[in-house]
Amino acid sequence: MPGFTHLHTVSGFSLRYGASHPERLAERASERGLDALALTDRDTLAGAVRFTKACAKAGVRPLFGVELAVAELEPVRREKRRAPVRGGIFIDESTPRVTFLARDGAHGWADLCRIVTAAQAAGESPPLLPWNDNRGAGLTVLLGPDSDVGRALAAGRPDRAAKLLAPWREVYGDALRLETVWHGRKGTGPGSLRLAARTVGFAAEQRVRPVLSNAVRYADPGQGPVADVLDAARRLVPVDPTKGLDSGEAWLKDAGAMLHTAERIVEAAGYRRDTAHRLLEQTQATAAECLVDPEDDLGIGTVHFPEPHLVGAGRRTAQRTLASRAAAGMVLRGYSEKRAYWERMHRELDIIAHHGFASYFLTVAQVVDDVRKMGIRVAARGSGAGSLVNHLLGIAHADPVEHGLLMERFLSKRRLVLPDIDIDVESARRLEVYRAIIGRFGTERVATVAMPETYRVRHAIRDVGAALSMDPADIDRIAKSFPHIRARDARAALDELPELRQLAGEKEKYGRLWELTEALDALPRGVAMHPCGVLLSDASLLSRTPVMPTSGEGFPMSQFDKDDVEDLGLLKLDVLGVRMQSAMAHAVAEMERATGERVDLDAVPPGDPATYQLIRSTETLGCFQIESPGQRDLVGRLQPATFHDLVVDISLFRPGPVAADMVRPFIAARHGRAPVRYPHPDLEGPLKETYGVVVFHEQIIDIVHIMTGCGRDEADRVRRGLSDPESQGRIRVWFAQHAAAKGYEAETIRRTWEIVEAFGSYGFCKAHAVAFAVPTYQSAWLKAHHPAAFYAGLLTHDPGMYPKRLLLADARRRGVPILPLDVNKSGVAHRIELVSESGDSQRVWGLRLALSDVHGISEAEAARIADGQPYASLLDFWERARPSRPLAQRLAQVGALDAFGANRRDLQLHLTELHRGARGAGGGQLPLDGGRKTAPAGLPDLSSAERLSAELGVLSMDASRNLMDDHRAFLDELGVVSARRLRDARHGETVLVAGAKAATQTPPIRSGKRVIFSTLDDGTGLVDLAFFDDSHDACAHTVFHSWLLLVRGVVQRRGPRSLSVVGAAAWNLAELVELRAEGGLDVVAARLAEPLPEAGGDPTRGRRIQMPTGYEMHPWADLRPAGEEPAKTRKLWHQSPGSAG
Amino acid sequence: MTILCVRFQLPPMHEAALPGLLGLLEEFTPVVEALPPDGALADLHGAERYFGRDAVALASVIRVRSLALYGVDCAIGAGPGPMLARVALGDARPGVTCAVPEDAVGEFLADRPVTALPGVGTATARTLCEYGLDTLGRVAAAPLSTLQRLVGAKTGRELHEKANGVDRGRVVPNAVSRSLVTERPFTRDELDPDRHRRALLSAAEELGARLRALDKVCRTLTLTVRYADLPHSRTGSSGGTSISTTRTRTLGEPTAHSVALTKAAYGMYEALGLQRARVRALVLRAEGLDPAEQASHQLTFDPLDEKARRIEEVADRARAKFGPHAVMPGSLAA
Repeated sequence: MPGFTHLHTVSGFSLRYGASHPERLAERASERGLDALALTDRDTLAGAVRFTKACAKAGVRPLFGVELAVAELEPVRREKRRAPVRGGIFIDESTPRVTFLARDGAHGWADLCRIVTAAQAAGESPPLLPWNDNRGAGLTVLLGPDSDVGRALAAGRPDRAAKLLAPWREVYGDALRLETVWHGRKGTGPGSLRLAARTVGFAAEQRVRPVLSNAVRYADPGQGPVADVLDAARRLVPVDPTKGLDSGEAWLKDAGAMLHTAERIVEAAGYRRDTAHRLLEQTQATAAECLVDPEDDLGIGTVHFPEPHLVGAGRRTAQRTLASRAAAGMVLRGYSEKRAYWERMHRELDIIAHHGFASYFLTVAQVVDDVRKMGIRVAARGSGAGSLVNHLLGIAHADPVEHGLLMERFLSKRRLVLPDIDIDVESARRLEVYRAIIGRFGTERVATVAMPETYRVRHAIRDVGAALSMDPADIDRIAKSFPHIRARDARAALDELPELRQLAGEKEKYGRLWELTEALDALPRGVAMHPCGVLLSDASLLSRTPVMPTSGEGFPMSQFDKDDVEDLGLLKLDVLGVRMQSAMAHAVAEMERATGERVDLDAVPPGDPATYQLIRSTETLGCFQIESPGQRDLVGRLQPATFHDLVVDISLFRPGPVAADMVRPFIAARHGRAPVRYPHPDLEGPLKETYGVVVFHEQIIDIVHIMTGCGRDEADRVRRGLSDPESQGRIRVWFAQHAAAKGYEAETIRRTWEIVEAFGSYGFCKAHAVAFAVPTYQSAWLKAHHPAAFYAGLLTHDPGMYPKRLLLADARRRGVPILPLDVNKSGVAHRIELVSESGDSQRVWGLRLALSDVHGISEAEAARIADGQPYASLLDFWERARPSRPLAQRLAQVGALDAFGANRRDLQLHLTELHRGARGAGGGQLPLDGGRKTAPAGLPDLSSAERLSAELGVLSMDASRNLMDDHRAFLDELGVVSARRLRDARHGETVLVAGAKAATQTPPIRSGKRVIFSTLDDGTGLVDLAFFDDSHDACAHTVFHSWLLLVRGVVQRRGPRSLSVVGAAAWNLAELVELRAEGGLDVVAARLAEPLPEAGGDPTRGRRIQMPTGYEMHPWADLRPAGEEPAKTRKLWHQSPGSAG
Repeated sequence: MTILCVRFQLPPMHEAALPGLLGLLEEFTPVVEALPPDGALADLHGAERYFGRDAVALASVIRVRSLALYGVDCAIGAGPGPMLARVALGDARPGVTCAVPEDAVGEFLADRPVTALPGVGTATARTLCEYGLDTLGRVAAAPLSTLQRLVGAKTGRELHEKANGVDRGRVVPNAVSRSLVTERPFTRDELDPDRHRRALLSAAEELGARLRALDKVCRTLTLTVRYADLPHSRTGSSGGTSISTTRTRTLGEPTAHSVALTKAAYGMYEALGLQRARVRALVLRAEGLDPAEQASHQLTFDPLDEKARRIEEVADRARAKFGPHAVMPGSLAA
């Protein structure tokens, strides 16, 4: 029996079409005895690399192809249908589709990339291959049931099919095949036996070779319903069981089943049964012709840098250019007298030459130079900061020799992987940087990297629910109850998570929802531009990767994701947009605008006492890297006093060191509570700076190097091996042997190994930490010395983890006056304003809120309002700023128009009439009184609560006062302890705390338990809460889904400034406030008297996820929890009936 | 304290019982105004003296009789004028008659939401609430000119008077002029135009049959399409009413003829041009009902129309004899 090769197989990368991952297809092919398998995804080659790797693992030969919609030679006229009043038009999928296979090695692959790029070029949806681009000498074409020829046959028009075949034959000649498919359908449509037989007959008549395929959409039988859901999600219609369900046959059948299919088809076509072998042979022969080798033809494993002449090398070689630029840098930076620097530079240049990476360094240097010329803040991060050459070229700021950073951590002769240098730029100007890079190297060499968006549980539930015609309100509620977990965990989460208990009760009601939701797990559902990767290559880029335009900016984007491009040997430069850089740039610009003096952040005095005092006070909200609750706790215990302390602090606050509990011994040693110990006096050098505790990668490299004398490059390789338990054993033996050979005692070796082993691969690259600590110090310095400008920058660029309203509360606490929105004074961005001046040193700067924070304002509107300032009257404002009516109403609600007289509601009425008048209804009475002020209309003004509600609704911030202030009386009745008073609370005291939730996390922690960490803001400060798993049944749902919380808990103290409350019970404060207002304290008491849900046992029954680093993780930790993001909360706890808008 | 507003608790689709219930009220007073589908206003000016009881006491009598005779419970509001009686009905429950105190009308209205007033629909209420006029007390306090600027001159004046308790309305006796409604829900989100048309056909057939049974003709036909989607603003919360599209068409001549009704319904449906809309229900409503004998009919030379009417007549008789499903259009029989 001949074998069989599926020439037409799609994976999940065919968005909302294929139901199986490429890995699964390769596995199944291998299991079912198929020797080769083609991947022909719709409109994309994005799955090719993963497919290749999976095939290599499964022992299957991969074939590459793509299925594209092809423009018809003579465009058909379509009747124009009336635009629907509701629901939108049908997704048009009527264009014929054809399968292309790469046949001829690298040419075939290049042709494939080219036609995909051509089809995607117009940016239409779905992509369409213009007929003029429909050619390629290295391609084989399969005309199947969905092609124009197949459709003519289905319509019973062989004459027309013959006519349509002619142009195909003209272009592809002998490489044309007719694809026949039988899915057991009735009639003559695609998948029917009659069409399959007609195709075979037509092929014989036209002397075109037929091939058999199964048009595979999923790997296993029984996945038909998943295909139905995907169809529904793609077409945006519900599944209609009365028509058009998937046949369930489009799975990866084995050779026997396909032989049976072939027999049925040839018999139906009127041939003898053994003709089926001929059909299979033709299929096999076609597969055998398609020879694309992953290594040679796709370019996996080779590197392509931009041509040297583009990066300033001129006619010299890249290496010589690099050497001379580095030498120039030595002189420029004043190192030319220092021998050690020269030696290190030459050593590094040797390594670079060894790998031939000189063009790479020049490329990055070129990009950094260009960015800097544009006036954009730029900094290198990552291990690249450890290279002196990078420093000399101006890529990295910090001097690696001074900070003891090692080149070997970045690149060595023994490291074969591509080094990567990441650069940080201002987030607001990231796209400008992209444009500059594209402008410098040209679109044929530059592409951004794709990032597939895959189905997780919430999207899966929404799409499946819509396909199953479920009630949209139900879908919404179910989807929102889930934390952001994988779709395949949906049922497990229902069984195990306490906050889903209520939903689990109605689980049965939704039938197949859960099963189908899980089946969508991790399938790509869209593709976006990766936020930071940029591909740089030589001019051959477009023949190695398919490129499509990004939807928003129209940048060229490779269809491969960041892992794929590394495998393909494409050089990726990570350009990260860092909001903090933008925020600091804005702060500096504001200070210059307001005061005329320019602060150079890169030259702020090091070791500023006020800055370190601020950091030690743990009021570090908004400071880069040290603002999270965990970091504030750590900073409180560590009490940093120098830049080096900050570097250590940032390195310690990583999952690894926290899990390995390196924090406690370090802090004990630092404060002198424990002696500093070294395993051997030789190791004092590398370990002294961190009191004998290993914190940095560089220290491990040094320890291994000192103990074994193996050289630092080898030591770095050893360090990488530590994370893998298998190689760890081997390294241990090797380490013991070599250390003994150097004459160390067995005891010393044992103790050193313990340290090295415990450290594992955790810890942090010091080069990275140094690069991080610079903006940390700079932001803290700004906060200490120029708070108003600092908050203006923060609020404008919104970095960090906290909602804006919390930053505003912090500003208020630090005594920065908050000035309300005012159309005559506010700018597009947040600004600073002089509030009072008494003597030169006593200037108080206030923060003026920005127009851009108004809900629904467009950039153009904000700019127009700001440009037209000042306005004399409401009419003047209306006529010159031309705001839209809703925007003007919102501005009135938050008091931005208060300067024009009258109360806010009267203003709204005037605006409505101005709007009516503008539409030509003819103005009745003039709403203005005396030209400037607006006449009152006698409407009731907004009440104080309504104003606050409007501020939250329009600005997402409680701008005039803290929203908790309104509840102060009730909280006093309850005996709630404020955050300020909590600082004096005793360890172990039971307290009540309350506030608005700011951030909630369930990070992975050492004990392997799920702990909910939350931060409350009550206007006087922040309260950090922790809920351990014994309280989850009682609290989890309330904590995740309420915004205002009342919590009973026990105070935990770990240091003078380190304090948290361990929650035991939680209530929705908004509900209690309402009960208090309606029914008085007795009703509140009744609510508090309701029993809390009983704590059950551990529903996961001790199930833990074993992390590769050795420690255990709770299966549901480390997820984004359910509930609204506090940053998105725009509603007050209740909407009073009279509230505006 | 002489006007009653009665709402009978009729099960849905039992509007046909309303005329009988109105007859019950007419035993007390000839001045009865029907408020379809399930309510009525009754002016008891003369009745109070005749029966020797005040309106609130009579309300109890009405309720007892309604329960005894028809098995239908009712809620009753009482007030000095029809508007106030209707407002009072909002607070009434079966057995608890709510009466507006004649001397404290202002206080009675003050705390009520604006929607409590008859004639204030969602649109007006939204406008008023936007400007902080969410209770009748606040509306009453607002200057008349401001109200008129908000909602227009006439509505503003009426609103101002009503909010101040000035009730100029009278009970106007009318025949039961009401509408007939029929709904065709779907079990899933339905996109198929064929099934939509079948639902419309069966709804129009039913309406026609019911109209003819009542000897009525209708002047206008209204199509409401309900969708599965939630209004955009409500997707955030769990719940909310689904959105819908409504179209009304005035018929060429008042008719109860199923074919004419079907044609009008199809016309409205086609004009929507629906493609991907997830339809959950189609509702057809016949409005402007008049007695059939008053209807005019344009004769034509085309015998088809005449034939269709005769077939319909025969079909009606067959249905009367053998049940409603005895005769139906072929496309519905499948």
